[in-house]
Amino acid sequence: MRWAGLVTAALLWSAVGSSSSAQAPAARNPHEGNADAIRNGMGLYRSRCADCHGMDARGVRAPDLTQVWASGRNDEGLFNTIRRGVPGTEMPAFVPPRTTDTEVWQMLAYLRTLAAPAPTDPPRGNAQNGERIFRTTCAGCHRVNGAGGRLGPDLSRAGASRSRERLVAQIRRGFEDSGPGFSPVTITPLEGPPIHGVKKNEDLFSVQIMDTNERIQGYEKDSTKGVVNERRSMMPVYGPDRLSDSDLDDLVSYLMTLRGFNPAVPQ
Amino acid sequence: MGAWRVRSMWITGLMCAAAAALAAQQAPPALVTEQEILAGLPPDGSRWLTFGGSPTNQRHSPLAEITPENVTRLAPQWTFQTGALGQFETTPLFRDNVLYVTGPSNLAWALDARTGREIWRYRRELPSNLTACCGLVNRGFAMLGDKLFLATLDAHLVALDRRTGSVVWDAETEDHATGYAATIAPIIAKNKVITAVAGGEYGIRGFIDAYDAQTGKRAWRFYTIPAKGEPGNDTWAGDSWKTGGAGVWVTGAYDPELNLLYYGTGNPGPDYHSESRKGDNLYSNSLVALDADTGALRWHYQFTPHDLHDWDATEVPVLADLTIGGQARKVVMFANRNGFFYTLDRTNGKIIVAKPFVTTTWAKEIGADGRPVVQAGHVPDEKGSLTCPDLTGGTNFWQPSYDPATRTFFVNAREVCMIFYAWKPDYTPGERFTGGAGQRAKSADNQPYGVLRALDPATGERRWEFKYLNLSTSGLLTTASGIIFSGDGDGNLLAIDSRSGKLLWRYQMGANMHGTSPVTYMVDGRQHVLVPAGTTLTAWALPR
Repeated sequence: MRWAGLVTAALLWSAVGSSSSAQAPAARNPHEGNADAIRNGMGLYRSRCADCHGMDARGVRAPDLTQVWASGRNDEGLFNTIRRGVPGTEMPAFVPPRTTDTEVWQMLAYLRTLAAPAPTDPPRGNAQNGERIFRTTCAGCHRVNGAGGRLGPDLSRAGASRSRERLVAQIRRGFEDSGPGFSPVTITPLEGPPIHGVKKNEDLFSVQIMDTNERIQGYEKDSTKGVVNERRSMMPVYGPDRLSDSDLDDLVSYLMTLRGFNPAVPQ
Repeated sequence: MGAWRVRSMWITGLMCAAAAALAAQQAPPALVTEQEILAGLPPDGSRWLTFGGSPTNQRHSPLAEITPENVTRLAPQWTFQTGALGQFETTPLFRDNVLYVTGPSNLAWALDARTGREIWRYRRELPSNLTACCGLVNRGFAMLGDKLFLATLDAHLVALDRRTGSVVWDAETEDHATGYAATIAPIIAKNKVITAVAGGEYGIRGFIDAYDAQTGKRAWRFYTIPAKGEPGNDTWAGDSWKTGGAGVWVTGAYDPELNLLYYGTGNPGPDYHSESRKGDNLYSNSLVALDADTGALRWHYQFTPHDLHDWDATEVPVLADLTIGGQARKVVMFANRNGFFYTLDRTNGKIIVAKPFVTTTWAKEIGADGRPVVQAGHVPDEKGSLTCPDLTGGTNFWQPSYDPATRTFFVNAREVCMIFYAWKPDYTPGERFTGGAGQRAKSADNQPYGVLRALDPATGERRWEFKYLNLSTSGLLTTASGIIFSGDGDGNLLAIDSRSGKLLWRYQMGANMHGTSPVTYMVDGRQHVLVPAGTTLTAWALPR
């Protein structure tokens, strides 16, 4: 139940659905700059959004929200994203009566105070070379535009769902919180060698995994010698010895170009 | 032609005679009496007539056909699906092989308990401006005579004809447009229907009402917040009492001998902001004991004075008679959202036992005067403060159970902490009015979990526990054969040995038993266990 509809991270930037709404929201946030609204929005944001987007809104397993306006999104589009959710991701729809229009605007008024300006640093790295590095180094586990492995998250929207700093940190130092569907687990069957994989679901009595051969399978815990949850992500750490600073720049530059599944990209 | 007519008349005459004979054999369906309700769950399993099985809310059945030894042979008999959005939070009622079930969005059914087939369906149009804070749910019917009673989401109380589901009377308790709603299962006391309202997040002034079961005329009202000039009003600064909340959305208990109703009251509003309502804020977060004839307050006990963590005392009070320290005591047991388990003397509200049943950081203990000894650093502000338990609490509205044979109180508990935030809110009628929020605290070393705990009500000590992987919101049912039925946080229906805490049997239902608990009864000489989970009801029994 927790991990129903498993996909990659929730991508708040991307999808604004095209479905029509009987009552169109105001095009601009009527509460922007209002101190009371910002304070209310802060609490609402912290209780409903911060688990995935982070207390500082810079993204945990869901996108960095501090740059949504800089990236070209507007108030109305963000309102609709919160109202309708992002289908196919963990981002739920926040609907009435639980969430009123005013509350959505209050959250956005608060987020606006955290918004960062568009980056002024000159672009770094060669995305073309980065794509080559991705295909040789990362594509065994990660998928982009329908090609690559399935053990790790699909990165077709990596540039929209993660900040550059976060991508660099995860590649260089690894991480512990793998997010739903990608926590590493080792199952020791009654016979045969241990099975390594990532956990797709679990209850008291069973665990469902994708193993390193991408086989999806469930196991009754009683029928194993043990199920061990690992802390560190299965993602290897790529220090400067394995990936030079320049190659890292190229790779991240490529990842930042990925803004959503694009079937037109030749494989 | 003539011969045919004669024969036809002769046949018609025969049929009339047969119908008359049949009518003589089949008396009209017996009316449900208050005596039956007060008698609780009978040994023959022929009825489940009120929310908690009996007015004590013990949810303990004398049935013993299903035992710890044979429970592994339980087999599904039928499944009913609502075919509607939203989930069950209901306790089905049972009488004469018929089930009476309330569902989400003001739906309700009468079902054949043998087959799960629908007999009638009731549906009430929902207004578009509902303000139900926390889901379009309902917790069950009350039943008396030939009527069923339903508290509706738009804050009405309706009486339905038990045989047809048609409306007999309809009483508005309060205007839903101003934030009032109702999700509670009513109960019967003194031929009156006792109901109450939700809306603590919308600046309402909570109340408990009694209506004449025959006419729908209101007999009395108890406001959970005293008006200006009444005792207790001075526990609210300024006009804060007018929007003080203290809704009542969980069913209370009834002691006919003492003639007292016991109800837990909801949080004060705004939920988290201390400065907005200085004082103890009576009678929020309290257990109130009301005279069943008049609704007059006989005593109250406030679990969490000046609550800042949304710890409604809307848990289910459970009545029992215990011997404590060699003395016979009439008690009310209460596992509270604030993390403490209480055993109170139900004649006067005095504390006998008050002990944490989960990790509790906000209060050191409950003092001899009955007030919590509050620890520093647990007042929410804009920076946030870490407190255990979280806002959902050590437990919540899901039903506990009590086994009088082993004198054990069972509760689905939660081990969770939270960072609470607060700020000054503005009040607009019909809008949310909370003044804060919480964020669940967790780390790799501190993962929240749910747990079934068995407590000794004479001491508050733990007898055993059964840990879940995730948080359970399931109610409980115990049986005289020594089984406790529960649900975990992952859709499993569990049968557990109520004496040892050992798991006996499980079944993956595909949905959590959120705020529901199984009920049990006999159909054609076989014990059935009926389990509401998600949008389905499933009946279980041993194979024939």
